[in-house]
Amino acid sequence: MFPTSGRRLTRATVLFLSLIAIGFLIATFDVRSEGDSVSNVMREGTQSIFTPMQKGVRWVASPLIGFVDGVSNIAGLREENERLQDRIVVLEAREREVAAIEEEVRQLEAIVGVEAPEELPTVTARLYSSGPSAFDNVRYIDKGANDGIVAGQAVIDEQGLVGRVDLVSANDARIRLITDPLVSAGVRIRSTNETGIVSGRGDGPLRLEMFRATEAVYEGDLVVTDGSRFPPGLVVGRIAETADAEVGFVLRTTVNPSARLSEVDYVKVIIGWTALDADLSDGVVDTNTATTTTTTVPPTTSTTVPSPEEEG
Amino acid sequence: MHRGRVVVALLAVVIALVLQTTLFGDGGVRPLGVAPALVTLVIIALGPYVETEYHLLLGFTAGMLMDLMGSGTLGLWAMTLTTVAYASSRLRAQFTDSLLLTGSIVFGLTVMGQVIFVLLGTLFGQNLIGDSSLVAKIVLPAVWNLLLAVPVVWVLGLVLSPSDRGWAT
Repeated sequence: MFPTSGRRLTRATVLFLSLIAIGFLIATFDVRSEGDSVSNVMREGTQSIFTPMQKGVRWVASPLIGFVDGVSNIAGLREENERLQDRIVVLEAREREVAAIEEEVRQLEAIVGVEAPEELPTVTARLYSSGPSAFDNVRYIDKGANDGIVAGQAVIDEQGLVGRVDLVSANDARIRLITDPLVSAGVRIRSTNETGIVSGRGDGPLRLEMFRATEAVYEGDLVVTDGSRFPPGLVVGRIAETADAEVGFVLRTTVNPSARLSEVDYVKVIIGWTALDADLSDGVVDTNTATTTTTTVPPTTSTTVPSPEEEG
Repeated sequence: MHRGRVVVALLAVVIALVLQTTLFGDGGVRPLGVAPALVTLVIIALGPYVETEYHLLLGFTAGMLMDLMGSGTLGLWAMTLTTVAYASSRLRAQFTDSLLLTGSIVFGLTVMGQVIFVLLGTLFGQNLIGDSSLVAKIVLPAVWNLLLAVPVVWVLGLVLSPSDRGWAT
């Protein structure tokens, strides 16, 4: 049906091997250059070409996506509705309690002369695109350098930490999710106040390692950022599996991320805080150099740590 | 020389890439949490319609675009999709009217592409082999590609004039 000649087959094979060699050289160059400006410029250029098409298709496809999403979730809607109704009752009660506590805190601050911390400025952005393969843990947002966004800033949704800005152009930016295997963050266990490092595993729960843990962590314990790479106090997730601390051994367990990473549509970029650590130009955190430096910068309001009573 | 056909094929790759990152992107249509590998599917499906050399260049170009729009090391998808294009070209004679055979080729080459990418990614320090959903990310795109093979192959056959596809060698 498709006759092939030996000469042409050889040419094709030579071309194939040449392209593989070129690909190998490009990969080696990219790894050795550690994401220098050349590859970043190429990435930004490519993304800027595709952005109008992606935004257009996203806009056109939104109703279809919503319909498919609705159909696939219809079975669980009734149960979800009942659960949310119950949740509203509980939250309303908590809101009243929190209001009372806030008033008490204000009075105490006035007494000791401490000013109430200001909220960190944020920029709200919409996600319009994601990486082209299942192995890409990146999302693109429709705000960029013109809105005050720079590489290294933390990205949150209403549930918790989503990731970090790692590539910025004038009107767009790329977020590397906390599930990316190359991303890690210094964290603190809310109940014990001990610190550790969470790192992505590509998907699902994050890996938590605590090198100097003296107390066990329990399923459901809240994990927040410690202020070394991200603003302190951002909710990262909850411990997925209970783990004991043994002297001389690293405590290892997993953390379920709080952010709705697979459903998130809008995010906030915290533009009023940047990491103290250097080496953030590519947004990839080197786990070997992760520190546990804390700062006095207050947490944001949208993803702050609940009070111990709330954690209950 | 059928350069017009190559341009159409390149356009198909671009459309696949845009759909992959939007319609099948995060928050889009992702059955069981994993999207089809649409770009890989298009590269496979171009096998019967594009000359081998152009097919290889299309695979390399598509892969480079994926690398540039993704988060991994540049060149990994380029090598992967070049290999997929080469295998698809070698199997072009097997693309027949048999749905089963075509489906098998699409499924097999998609799995092959995903596996090659994981191995290359691991080789270049991406730690992809440690992904907690590795099996799902390899198998599910192949399953969705299998389901999408019929419409994609049909559409490509339509726009790339299947009546004279015998020119490809």
